[in-house]
Amino acid sequence: MSVLTTDTRRDLEIRRYPLFAYVLVPLLALVLQAWLPRVLGRFAWFDLLLIVTVFFALGRRSPIQGMLMGGILGIFQDALTNHALGINGIAKTVVGYLAASVGVRIDVENFTIRLALIFLLSLVSSAIYIFVVRVLLGLELDSNWIFEIYKALGNSLIALVSFPLLDRFQSRD
Amino acid sequence: MHLAIRAPPPTLYDMESFFARYRNPLVLLALLVVQIIGLAVQVHRTDSSHAGSARASLDTRDGSGVRLIRLWANSLVSPPERLIHASGMGIAGAWQNYLDLRHVRQQNQDLQKTIDRMRLEQAALLEDARQGQRLQALLQFQEKYIYKTMAAQIIGTSGSNQSHVVYLDKGSSEGLARDMAVITPDGIVGKVREVYPHSAQVLLINDQTSGAGVILETTRIRGILRGNASGQPQIVGIMSDNRIKPGEKVLTAGGDEIFPRGLPVGEVAKVVRDPERDSFIDVILKPAAQLDRLDEVLVLTSVEPRFPPDQQQDMATSEELKGAEVEQEKAQKKASEIMAERLPGLIDPNLPTDQQPLNDSTPPNPIGSQPQPLHPDRFTPGDTTGSPQSAPAGQSAPAPAPATGPQKSTPPRRNP
Repeated sequence: MSVLTTDTRRDLEIRRYPLFAYVLVPLLALVLQAWLPRVLGRFAWFDLLLIVTVFFALGRRSPIQGMLMGGILGIFQDALTNHALGINGIAKTVVGYLAASVGVRIDVENFTIRLALIFLLSLVSSAIYIFVVRVLLGLELDSNWIFEIYKALGNSLIALVSFPLLDRFQSRD
Repeated sequence: MHLAIRAPPPTLYDMESFFARYRNPLVLLALLVVQIIGLAVQVHRTDSSHAGSARASLDTRDGSGVRLIRLWANSLVSPPERLIHASGMGIAGAWQNYLDLRHVRQQNQDLQKTIDRMRLEQAALLEDARQGQRLQALLQFQEKYIYKTMAAQIIGTSGSNQSHVVYLDKGSSEGLARDMAVITPDGIVGKVREVYPHSAQVLLINDQTSGAGVILETTRIRGILRGNASGQPQIVGIMSDNRIKPGEKVLTAGGDEIFPRGLPVGEVAKVVRDPERDSFIDVILKPAAQLDRLDEVLVLTSVEPRFPPDQQQDMATSEELKGAEVEQEKAQKKASEIMAERLPGLIDPNLPTDQQPLNDSTPPNPIGSQPQPLHPDRFTPGDTTGSPQSAPAGQSAPAPAPATGPQKSTPPRRNP
């Protein structure tokens, strides 16, 4: 793992994307996240909104933008469920913050690092989700950690494929 | 002399540097606090009957703000989903066709176009035929089902494995409302949780927040149906019972005011011990409806029974016969009332209650008011003149003295 020093942090490129990418990519992710489980059934082991959150947080390298993006996408994800608004919002806010903070410090261009980062952030998101539901809200929610690991693996694989595709939207100054 | 060195008070510059230094964590903290407050507003604490302790539960009636956000999300997602659904084959089909096109185009592009068009048509026809068969089965069920239903198609899901909800392509504009039951010919599916103008959210029976009253067909044991973490419906809150065996059918009990009683729910897959309570068990079900492969469903829009024409005719005939019987009973009742009016009664409507004949404790026929016989004879009480034969002709027997006291009765004279 190639870890960058503080001095080289500023040398990292802050990527910029056109406005339509900020609108269409999350919207497409939201639609696919709602539609694909109908086709794949219980094999829908992914969270496309988390992948989009991590992608923009890593690209922008701004924790605040990552948090806002994650929070908004998480709330919209909650809005499609029968759960309270904010559960996924909190989880993805933290994920956006962590992704942007980590993206400043390490080289995320490496595929292995990306794979590991997405995997870990997926588990963190699941853990925060369950923590909020069970501890903060005191609701009854059974969880299946095997499924969460499958989902983290699925997110990693999808990120490996989708990140290079999404990078094509990058604006060249 | 004691000298104390005081630290200088924080200046505006220090505060600015503090916020600049910890800007990101402070923004994170603010966002989290705002969302936690929002969650606290949506969730309220209720008493759980089975646990005996107060637990939090999600308010099923969303506030106006929450409902507005859900409406926005639904408005964003539903039109593309409807478009994908209307396109027939969707992304999977398009991807398959793309691969086919690439492969055949290398050989002969014109021929490939024809073949692909035919394949597409065939696939579309096949899909149409399958859909037609499903709709035909649904229509047959709908026609013979006694409740009024509306057919709808599934266009999307929640996208979360923790939330088992699906979206229908019909909403309040088509007559759907909250808490309507959603079924298929195979079994129950769930209930309408939220309604939008042209779509509706359905909470499936395998969601952890769902609830439906069910009864086991053979053992007649009642329980509450809800989902578990694996997305399987299970009956909770029933005592351990050895009679419950895998394969037993489960029906709706009808007590939840959503599902009519007697609808198939599924069959018992296995029985496991409740991890939280020793003497209780959880009955895992295999749902009758294929919850993960739903396409078309029926929504019960009215729970008023709707019978087919022949049954309606039978019921009308039955009602007529029943009406004739009722008329006959009325006539008999009226006749008996007329008879009762004409016959002397024990209750005089003109007298107060304490003076009613029924409440009179005096002997029914007092001596003082004994009626006088028109032609007294020797059998008349108080007669002392003897038989009428002993009296001279034309002389009538003297009238007995008024009975003011006990009278001495004279034994009748015996005839010679």
